[in-house]
Amino acid sequence: MTLLALENVSVAYDHQHYILRDFNLNIERGQFISLLGPSGCGKTTTLRLIAGFLEAKSGQFTFNGKNYTKVPVNKRNFGFVFQSYALFPHLSIFENVAFGLRLRKVSDSEIAKRVSRMLEIVSLTGYEKRFPKELSGGQKQRVAIARALVIEPDLLLFDEPLSNLDANLRVNMRVEIRRIQQELGITTVYVSHDQEECFSISDQVAIMNNGVIEQLDRPSTIFKYPRTEFVAKFIGFSNFIEFAYREDRDGEIWLKDKATSFRVPKHAGTDKSGGRKIAIRPEDINITADSPFIPSTGQIDTGKELNQVAGAVMVSTFLGRSYQYVVRTEMGDFTVNREMEEPYANGQKVLLTFPGDKLVIVN
Amino acid sequence: MKKRYVYWLMLPGLLFLTLFMLLPIIHTIGSTFFQEGQFTFEGYLHFLRDRYYVDILLTTMQVSLVTTMACIVVGFPVAYHISMLSPRKKGFLLALAIFPLLTSSVVRSFSWIIILGKNGLLNSWLVGLGLIDQPLEILYTPTAVMIGLIHLFLPLLIISLVGVMENIDPDLVKAAESLGSSRFTVFRKVIFPLSIPGLILGSILIFVGSMTAYTTPTVLGGKKRVIATFLYQNAITLNDWNSASVIATIMIVITLLVIGLMTKMSHKFRVKG
Repeated sequence: MTLLALENVSVAYDHQHYILRDFNLNIERGQFISLLGPSGCGKTTTLRLIAGFLEAKSGQFTFNGKNYTKVPVNKRNFGFVFQSYALFPHLSIFENVAFGLRLRKVSDSEIAKRVSRMLEIVSLTGYEKRFPKELSGGQKQRVAIARALVIEPDLLLFDEPLSNLDANLRVNMRVEIRRIQQELGITTVYVSHDQEECFSISDQVAIMNNGVIEQLDRPSTIFKYPRTEFVAKFIGFSNFIEFAYREDRDGEIWLKDKATSFRVPKHAGTDKSGGRKIAIRPEDINITADSPFIPSTGQIDTGKELNQVAGAVMVSTFLGRSYQYVVRTEMGDFTVNREMEEPYANGQKVLLTFPGDKLVIVN
Repeated sequence: MKKRYVYWLMLPGLLFLTLFMLLPIIHTIGSTFFQEGQFTFEGYLHFLRDRYYVDILLTTMQVSLVTTMACIVVGFPVAYHISMLSPRKKGFLLALAIFPLLTSSVVRSFSWIIILGKNGLLNSWLVGLGLIDQPLEILYTPTAVMIGLIHLFLPLLIISLVGVMENIDPDLVKAAESLGSSRFTVFRKVIFPLSIPGLILGSILIFVGSMTAYTTPTVLGGKKRVIATFLYQNAITLNDWNSASVIATIMIVITLLVIGLMTKMSHKFRVKG
């Protein structure tokens, strides 16, 4: 059931520069959805719009069946967690968490009960009397989460909550956030530019670019089957080949150029009609030394197998576990990763094989 | 070891302050306790027994207190407004706000004579509009002094408040709003408590400034004396340096007490941690 819907929403600064234009987004109740994208893609704007910090130029925001477009921030009952934590420096941890409850005229005994339960959930029992300055970054962010949750918000919003924390803490905190969210079953919108963070934590990820959602899917689906070139690039597909012709056959798509042809089996990543561009990750291309002679017969190999291209290594770099090669072929340059003991020398003739099940067609 | 030489650089300033400030202060304060070679509190007792003297002291305190309060009431919203603006507008409005500080105090005070006088602008407007029959007696009263001082000192409060307010993280306002605060509650529960250090700094500057102000009360106060003009009268006109020293000492003590009290308050309200 749809809890939140943005319909044809536009946001512009100084009446000209549109951040969002006719933007649409639907979120189901109880879901954890991430907005992911490079800076300037409109993800934070979307979040601030939902929170009520920004007003839309046009369009409608529906929440729980009601029109929320004009409802002011302080009447929305949404919890917001900031990148900067935004704890009140003049208030103790207890009073920070109690802030929203005091505004709601909750009785003192009830406040004490709910604050201590919330501090327990974020594992900060015993910190009630401290002040924000005495806490570490991770602790501060947990206070901020407790403060947002204690008012029992109808929606929880996160604006890059972990980007000020160091790497280890970030991993711990995202597990915490996911745990708390599932424990309370609260619908959550999470903004980040960290791909791993979003993929590990979310039910659904919306990849945004230039104010548009390029793809909204489960993380594993996006990871395997990006629908657009932007998404594919964003999640690490660095090789793209565009073909001039396309033919749909039984269970296969034939993509052709003057020189080459590829056959791609139909699967979830290639079911887009009309697409003529394929993408593949560097680690999914098989690279082998290309010898003009077939060793067993001593004959010159002329006919290449399906989805193969010959080329030569231009650059090789050591990545730790593997080597990365830039291979120049008649179809352009490809980036290929392979784990091996001894790298190929520059200039080495190689054969690239593109496995059909690893190829996706992008728009 | 090399660093020690750096301290010698402080010597000229230190010497200057010791010779021309510390020693005279000690001498001034010391001299109030002696009459004809005898240690005595007679100077102070004489001052405190005289109703006329005490009245001057109380008037001065009253003028300073009201000036400080008025500056807070008038300055707070202005400072809040300025602190929310873009840097360009902020700079422009701040420059406007501190303008009174940049004009000569004599010129500033004399302008108020033109406005507040019996046949001044204010009275001729009010009479002309039929709001009053008789001109108001404002000039040469403590009210006129207060008006002059508020005009002079308002910029100090605005500057010290804008200084703290613009450092308040805007996310705190958003956080408070998202938790359910109205604009007013945000101001009451977040902006105001976090502005207290600036408020106290500004208040100290204004209170002490008003206590010791000389030009404004001289020009606008008429025969009504405040402590600084009274001191001047004793020293220069009456050539009674002993009384002048007593008054000076009392002023120093009151000033220090006020600063101490306010600093203590600011510690209480200070952001803990």
